Amino acid sequence: MKLTFNIAFLAAIMFLTSCGDMFDYSSYVIDFEGENKDVNLTNIEKLSTKKSSDTIRIAFTGDTHVNFDEFEDFVSAVNNLNETNPIDFVVHVGDIADFGLPQQYLWGNSFLLNLNCPYLVVLGNHDMVGNGGLAYSEMFGEYNFSFIYAKTKFIFVNTNSMEFKFNGQVPNINWLDSQLQTADDFENAVVIFHVPPLATDFDSTLEVDFHQTIAKYNNVIFTVHGHGHHHEVYFPYSDSTPYVNVYGVEHIKYNVINISNGNFEVGTYEF
Amino acid sequence: MVILKLEHMSFKVLLVLVFTLTFGISASCAQESNKIDSTRFSKFLPDYVKLQYAGGIGFLSAGVGYTFIDHRIDVTMFYGYVPDKFTVDDLHSVSLQFTAKLIRIKASKNIEILPLNFGWYLHHTFGNEYWVKLPDNYPKDYYWWSPGRNAGVFIGGEIKTKLLSNKTPASGTAFYVRAGTRGLYVASKVGNSSIPMSDIIELGFGIAIYR
Repeated sequence: MKLTFNIAFLAAIMFLTSCGDMFDYSSYVIDFEGENKDVNLTNIEKLSTKKSSDTIRIAFTGDTHVNFDEFEDFVSAVNNLNETNPIDFVVHVGDIADFGLPQQYLWGNSFLLNLNCPYLVVLGNHDMVGNGGLAYSEMFGEYNFSFIYAKTKFIFVNTNSMEFKFNGQVPNINWLDSQLQTADDFENAVVIFHVPPLATDFDSTLEVDFHQTIAKYNNVIFTVHGHGHHHEVYFPYSDSTPYVNVYGVEHIKYNVINISNGNFEVGTYEF
Repeated sequence: MVILKLEHMSFKVLLVLVFTLTFGISASCAQESNKIDSTRFSKFLPDYVKLQYAGGIGFLSAGVGYTFIDHRIDVTMFYGYVPDKFTVDDLHSVSLQFTAKLIRIKASKNIEILPLNFGWYLHHTFGNEYWVKLPDNYPKDYYWWSPGRNAGVFIGGEIKTKLLSNKTPASGTAFYVRAGTRGLYVASKVGNSSIPMSDIIELGFGIAIYR
């Protein structure tokens, strides 16, 4: 009997030590460390020391939801492209965590960490379900943020109005306006967000203000968004501001946008 | 909002219930030792209390429950807690768990081994952000799942001993381990070889003291 107990005890100890991180307390535990914290800020710092050429090349993906295998393939495809035709950085336009689960954030970032260039992740509506909004803050940082790269200002704005019960504060028009105000350190701007202004989950009372703010300083070359999953360059308003919807990862395609001298062109790659 | 209030209410009711039942057991035990007839009430008392570590339903979870069909089915209600030491905001939850004990081996007079327990659970996390019914600000079917209520399955094993039966009114003590997963993890893993199996497994172990 004693022997049985000893064997059971030994087996229990081996079991406990070999799979420590499989002892799950809750699917809502947020316990991010190291490379899973302040991700956007870390990458902006990397960009500040990166040498830029006359043309800025950005690869876009987004709406990855639970298409993790495709997401992983996208990362390999961009890494290959970057070897031959350098990419400045990658943008994920949101919905990296389909159920807003911290574990899904970890999976998404585990693929992005394999990129051989800097990357930024936009907040999507799915990313906010449950305590996902908190997980985003812990992993990626502020919901609204911006940086300047090669005299172009990249402005990332939270447009997930429905997640904030259409409280009139999302998107934050005043913040967007303050970001776009003409300054010496940038010549052009690109505005990037998840939900486009004409979607039903965008606050309809802010839709006109949003676009007028984008057009106000005459410095926005184009805007980019996800949520729609398909690819399209369109002009939803009477002025000439282009809106670019980029491919969701499930199409096994991604868009690359080249920016030079205040102009841009969109390319599509398959993987 | 009504639902959220109700959830809050039922949470309090449940807490009261858990404590009443837990203290109820010790009270009834005290009565027994005083040779007072308690059989009239004892059939309503829970058959066991459990204390579980991890398993996806809390850092520590305290449960009470009943056994049915000659100790082959356990129905347990757990209250689970994750202190903010392990996460950003602490988590309160309850879970209702059904365990079927498929194989029972009598190893000796005092030890019974149950190598194949199978179970199913419903896990309910408390807090406004963990809604059960899609809030009114969304169109119908905007999200197909609910963050507040998840279901999961597990398999496990158990060793039942006579520990504590000599010195206390308890009939025995069991130690169990379990490995499970929940629906939302399975939905993430399906079709994705890039997601390691170990990431969707919830391991846990616990102790059960039987009446």
